[in-house]
Amino acid sequence: MTHPESDRRLDDVLQSMRGEIEPGRDLWPGIESRLEHRPLRPRWPAWAWQAAAAVALVAVSSLVTAAFVRQWSVPVVQAPAARPRVVPASYASGPALNADYEAARRQLAADLEQRLATLPPSARQKLEANLAEMRRAAEEINAALARQPGDALLEELLMNTYQDELGVLASVKQLTGTGVGPAPARQEKIRL
Amino acid sequence: MAGAANESEFERARRVAEERRLVESAAQGSSGAFERLYRLHAGKVYGLCLRMTGHRETAEDCTQEAFVQAWRNLARFEARSSFGTWLHRIAVNAVLAQGRRRGERVGAEASIEDEIGETLADGTVGDTGAGMDVEAAIAGLPAGARHVLVLAGVYGYSHEETAEMLGVAVGTCKAQLHRARQLLGQRLAAAEGSR
Repeated sequence: MTHPESDRRLDDVLQSMRGEIEPGRDLWPGIESRLEHRPLRPRWPAWAWQAAAAVALVAVSSLVTAAFVRQWSVPVVQAPAARPRVVPASYASGPALNADYEAARRQLAADLEQRLATLPPSARQKLEANLAEMRRAAEEINAALARQPGDALLEELLMNTYQDELGVLASVKQLTGTGVGPAPARQEKIRL
Repeated sequence: MAGAANESEFERARRVAEERRLVESAAQGSSGAFERLYRLHAGKVYGLCLRMTGHRETAEDCTQEAFVQAWRNLARFEARSSFGTWLHRIAVNAVLAQGRRRGERVGAEASIEDEIGETLADGTVGDTGAGMDVEAAIAGLPAGARHVLVLAGVYGYSHEETAEMLGVAVGTCKAQLHRARQLLGQRLAAAEGSR
C-alpha cells in the first residue's frame, strides 16, 4: 500500500466518505432542552459598522488637519462671504446627555462659525466636511435608536460619535483660539 | 443536461436563500427555525463528529454541543462563509473540547463499523465493503492522526485550515497526515491479506 496506485485508491476511498450519517436517534430534544429561550439581540446592521468606521475616520482626519494647521502656523484669513453653514450633529432624538457635556458642546458650537473663518480654506473645508459626516452618522444612529430603543450597542456608538464631535470642536477652538483650555479628554466618558 | 444543470443551480440558490432566512429567524430567537437548520445539517455534523471521535455516543454528545454552541453564537455569524462551513468549525471545536475532557480516549468499545454499515446503505463508500473497512481503520487510528486524516483527507480542508482548526502547526499537520495514511495503508493491507 505504499505505491502511487494504492495512494490514489486510498484518496478515492477517503474522498468518497464525505457522505452524511444520520444519528441513530433524534438529538433535537436534547438540544432544545439546552437552548436559552430568550430573544437574541438583534444583529447590528452593516451600515452601523460603516457609520462607526466613518466617525472614527473623520475624527482622525480632523485631528491630523488640526496638527497640520498648527505646525504651519497659518495666518488668519478672511472667510468668504457665502459659506455653507456648518451645523453640529443633532442629537434631538437621542438619549439625554449630562449637563456638563451639553454645556461644553453648546459653548464650542456657538463660536464654531467664527473660529472656522480664521482657518485657511483647505483646512476649513475639510473640517466642515468632517463635521457634516459626523452629523449624517449621528442622524442614522438616532434613526436606528428610534426603531430599536435601548439598544446598548447603538447607544455606545452614539456616545462615541458625541465624543468624536466634541474632540473635533475642541480642536478647532484650540488651533484658532488664544488662551483656550485643553480639549476634553477622550477618556472622560460621557454619561447618559 | 443544461436544463438539469440550471434546475440544480436554481435549487441550490433556493436552498441557500431559504437557509439564510432560517439563520436570520434563528438569530432573532426562533427555535423553530433553528430546528429546521438542525434537520438540514444534523447528518453532516454527526458524520464529521463520528469520524473524528470514532465513537457513536461521543459523536452524539458532540453534535448536540455543536448545535447548542451554534445557537448561542448565531448573532456573531457574519455569513462570510456558509452556515454549514461555520457549523463544521463549531463541531470540530466541540470534538476537540470533548477529547480534552475525556483525555482523548479513543472510541474502541463501541465500534463505528455497524453505524457506518447501517447509515451508508446507499453505497457511498463503495459496494465491496472496502469503505466499511476504511471507516473502521480510521476509527482505530490515534486521535491526532485521525483528526488530521478526517479533516484533510476526507473533508478536503487544506493543511493550513486543518492546522488552524486543530490548533497545531502546519508541519505537524502534514506529519500527522503522512503518519495516518501510512497506518491506514498498513491496516487495510493487513485486512485484505486476512480475507
